[in-house]
Amino acid sequence: MAEAVLVQPDASLIREIIAMGGGDLKKCYQCGTCAVSCDLSAEDVSFPRRQMLAAQWGLRDRLMEDPGPWLCFYCGGCTTRCPRKANPGEVMMALRRYLTAQYDWTGLSGLMYRSAFWEIGALALVAALVVLAFVLPHGFGFGLLAQSPAALESVNLGQFAPKEIVHIADRLLALLLGLLLLVNASRMFRALTRGKDIPLGAYLRAIPNLLVEAATQRRWRGCQDHTAASNWRRHLLLVTGYATIFTLVVVFLPWFQVEDSGFHWTSLLGYYAAGILLWSTASMLWDRARRRSEMHRFSELSDWLFPALLFLTALTGILLHAFRLSNWPMATCTMYVIHLAIAVPMLVVEVPFGKWAHLFYRPVAIYVAAVSRESSKGSSSNLGARSN
Amino acid sequence: MPGKLGVYICTGCAIGDALDAAKLVKCATGELKAPVCRTHAMLCGAEGCGLIRQDLETKAVDTVVIAGCSPRFKTEVFNFNHGSVVERVNLREHVAWCHKPQDEDTQMLAEDYLRMGVARALKTEAGEPLHDEISRTLLVIGGGVTGITAALEAAAAGYQVVLVEKEEELGGRAAHSRRLAQEIEGLAESALYHPRIRTLCLAQVVKIEGQPGMFDVAVSTAGGRETIRAGAIVVATGWKPYDASRLTHLGYGISPDVITNADLERMAAAGPILRPSTQQPVRSVLFVQCAGSRDKEHLPYCSSACCMGTLHQIGYLRQQDPEALVYVIYKDMRTPGQDERVYREVQDHPMNFFTKGEVESVRPWSNGTLAVTVNNTLLGDSITVCVDLVVLATGMVPNASEQILNLAYRQGPELPVLQDGFPDSHFICFPYETRRTGIYAAGVARAPMDDALARTDGMGAALKALQSMEMAAQGQAVHPRGGDDSYPSFFLQRCTQCKRCTEECPFGALDEDAKGTPQPNLYRCRRCGICMGACPERIVSFRNYSVDMIASMIKAIEVPEEAEEKPRVLALVCENDAYPALDLAGVRRRQYDANVRVIPLRCLGSLNIVWIADALSRGIDGVLLIGCKYGDDYQCHFTKGSELAARRLENVKETLQRLQLEPERLQLTQLAINEWDKLPELFDGFVERMRELGPNPYKGL
Repeated sequence: MAEAVLVQPDASLIREIIAMGGGDLKKCYQCGTCAVSCDLSAEDVSFPRRQMLAAQWGLRDRLMEDPGPWLCFYCGGCTTRCPRKANPGEVMMALRRYLTAQYDWTGLSGLMYRSAFWEIGALALVAALVVLAFVLPHGFGFGLLAQSPAALESVNLGQFAPKEIVHIADRLLALLLGLLLLVNASRMFRALTRGKDIPLGAYLRAIPNLLVEAATQRRWRGCQDHTAASNWRRHLLLVTGYATIFTLVVVFLPWFQVEDSGFHWTSLLGYYAAGILLWSTASMLWDRARRRSEMHRFSELSDWLFPALLFLTALTGILLHAFRLSNWPMATCTMYVIHLAIAVPMLVVEVPFGKWAHLFYRPVAIYVAAVSRESSKGSSSNLGARSN
Repeated sequence: MPGKLGVYICTGCAIGDALDAAKLVKCATGELKAPVCRTHAMLCGAEGCGLIRQDLETKAVDTVVIAGCSPRFKTEVFNFNHGSVVERVNLREHVAWCHKPQDEDTQMLAEDYLRMGVARALKTEAGEPLHDEISRTLLVIGGGVTGITAALEAAAAGYQVVLVEKEEELGGRAAHSRRLAQEIEGLAESALYHPRIRTLCLAQVVKIEGQPGMFDVAVSTAGGRETIRAGAIVVATGWKPYDASRLTHLGYGISPDVITNADLERMAAAGPILRPSTQQPVRSVLFVQCAGSRDKEHLPYCSSACCMGTLHQIGYLRQQDPEALVYVIYKDMRTPGQDERVYREVQDHPMNFFTKGEVESVRPWSNGTLAVTVNNTLLGDSITVCVDLVVLATGMVPNASEQILNLAYRQGPELPVLQDGFPDSHFICFPYETRRTGIYAAGVARAPMDDALARTDGMGAALKALQSMEMAAQGQAVHPRGGDDSYPSFFLQRCTQCKRCTEECPFGALDEDAKGTPQPNLYRCRRCGICMGACPERIVSFRNYSVDMIASMIKAIEVPEEAEEKPRVLALVCENDAYPALDLAGVRRRQYDANVRVIPLRCLGSLNIVWIADALSRGIDGVLLIGCKYGDDYQCHFTKGSELAARRLENVKETLQRLQLEPERLQLTQLAINEWDKLPELFDGFVERMRELGPNPYKGL
């Protein structure tokens, strides 16, 4: 028998997970129905029973080392079958929130997940900064409009928000957020691989899978729940729409931002992205409001905000486009600011600190699980073994 | 001399279709010489019963044989309250419903049953029931939850009660429980001030003599010694915690901070829960469930109250420190029924940690804490937890077998107990009953239980005890032969003082004089007839059940000549399980061989081996004995009857060999009442084997 592990429950961890939506956590009596009924749970990375117990007992190290929470796509089958109504599906969701907060070195994520005041406050603060950026300077934005009313004769975004400046700003923002996210993801990576002896070759060999997984969420297809296939399709569409608009804004802004009221072919791509984003986020919000499927039964503020902000971003974007084509200068400028005052806070708050980060965390967890499985072939680990 | 025999044959319920009633009448009036014989299509109806009642009233008949349905049905209808002998012959369940209609063999079976029934009726004597002066005072031993409840219930029913408690005050263990103390105080007060309850504290029973209805109980009290006349006794002597000094493997004794659940309960009742070593508040505690329970080395059973006890004790801790860390290591949390809600509530607290596991060691750790290592946890590994206090949830040991009753009985001073130390009883069918008639065990002295169940138990035992006094007053047996007013008589001139009866009586009804002659205490008797089966001199008999009577029934069976190729099998079956099972087979219309003749016995333990000799010497080809299951999980209503029968058969087999009869001609089978579906196969198979063995060579001799 292996050396006994000294167990010291972390009280704050238990309370934090409960505060983040895992309120039924303590009800679990470890029958294991959840883990055996889950299509995605495997012997080496078993969930959700193990995570339920680790969370119940406040075992922080165990949770930090465990890719399990990110391997679940929340079909909710475990919650339906749980004889104790311990809601393992939602506890896994709470664990993802908790882990997101743990990976974030700034601590902001935790503050925002725990408190609506912080989350709304952060969004409002960034939005205010965006608005101020268009109000305060003289040769730019509303300052410029105030100085030269001629600029309002026809749509001229080149003067209101010159695309060179915006492009620099958006790439700077992408760089900053990307760096923050990268730091958090690397903290996640270190936690997941701690104490594991994984050869470099294994990492390299698994890279193609990592990319495919990140692009397609292929693992989700393994879930046999009746809701899984349609949820996966909707999510994949959303990813394509999101990727399209992201590329247009970050890489091709000089072409995408048309400054007069003319039409440019890049708008066709914009239509695609806006259509997909509007439909998919609206349908997700609708599902959350109806609370029919397990996945949508419990919604924390963070679950509402991300799709809602995405929806509003797409909506204001398409309105901005319509106003510009209609050659309504003041409406176009105002909508431009509103659009940014939604999109920028969303990105700043969600990318490194919030739900957006799952774009990174999920593939990384799947990647680490795959490489550790490969490298531990032959050597047995009792980490995932059931004791009875 | 019973001579005015009346035979009444019912032809309803398909009996008339299966049998030739006229031939039965001929058999009754001709061969059996019955002066009165009537048939009726529905004997249990007002008209049918009227026929019988009229014959009884006109004194045309004094011995009634009713051939119709099983004697287990219509008992009230055919109870004429007349003092006459009424015997039933089972033509419905055992003949018409389970054999080929209008068949020669079926008819022969019916006629044999008629002969046997008449033989039985003619051997039955009318008699007077016992009548003595019966005390209706209930003695309750033990003034805890169970005892107080029993006393209050009996008093509420109008009976006088004497409540004997060995401690200074009533209340028992519950009085030292934080959760129960207040409630018990109220309960104790209502007993103390009840006009019909006399409470004796600091008192102990030093001797019990006598029998139900007339127990003489010597009680020593602070004021001296007195003798109380009681009609029945409830034993509610409770329990003691399992001896924790035997639990050194769980750390008991290594530190004052390893305590038992009983210690914790006392501490919690008195004040705050403190670490015994430092007298500082407890910041973390680990409970070990099943400490010495469900363990072959210690108590093999579950005490059923310790899981809830621990959950309540966690509640006490939470009241004084919501942040304390509480660990529970269990084998299984057992919280049946509503208790599960308490488990859920306790589990819900973030600082309560539960896991299945086996405690490997408890050892001192830094800062004076204790390190507990647990194997096979649900966490997948062995874990070590450091805590201020370890609580061993120990089980309950009954106070039932030592220095409680001090019975002046030939079979010993205390209640016979089962392997776990709880009083022996047919606990499936008759809770509270013990193997000492009129003495009923209740509460944890009977079986492990919590306080709520103990109250129910006290109530139940009190009711059984009252019933036993009332039955004694009418000279009747208690369960399972409730209402039977016969009793054994001993023809002592022929007694050889072999002591078999005094040893084998499951209820210790028979004492002995100095020479070993049995001295019956008839109110202790349960009328099973085991003494009758035990006696080699055949000196024990009941007015309605005797060796001679069964022998006459066996002799009444017509054994066909060898040439007829009709084997005959005698089945002596227990009336408690096998006979009703056979009725069930009939109700389900299961068909079986019509060559079997069934005689019900009060208990297979009343089997006298002379009957086997009688049967085989008359040419009956085989004898089948069907009794209840015996062994550790016995189902015998009289504890050991079928086991005793099996033991007696050992001797018979030698006799068979001497007579050059195959031992296969005799078979004992254990059968439970729910195994009725096995009976047809059993009968068919046995008859088939007899055919294979060939006819009994003593046929026709």
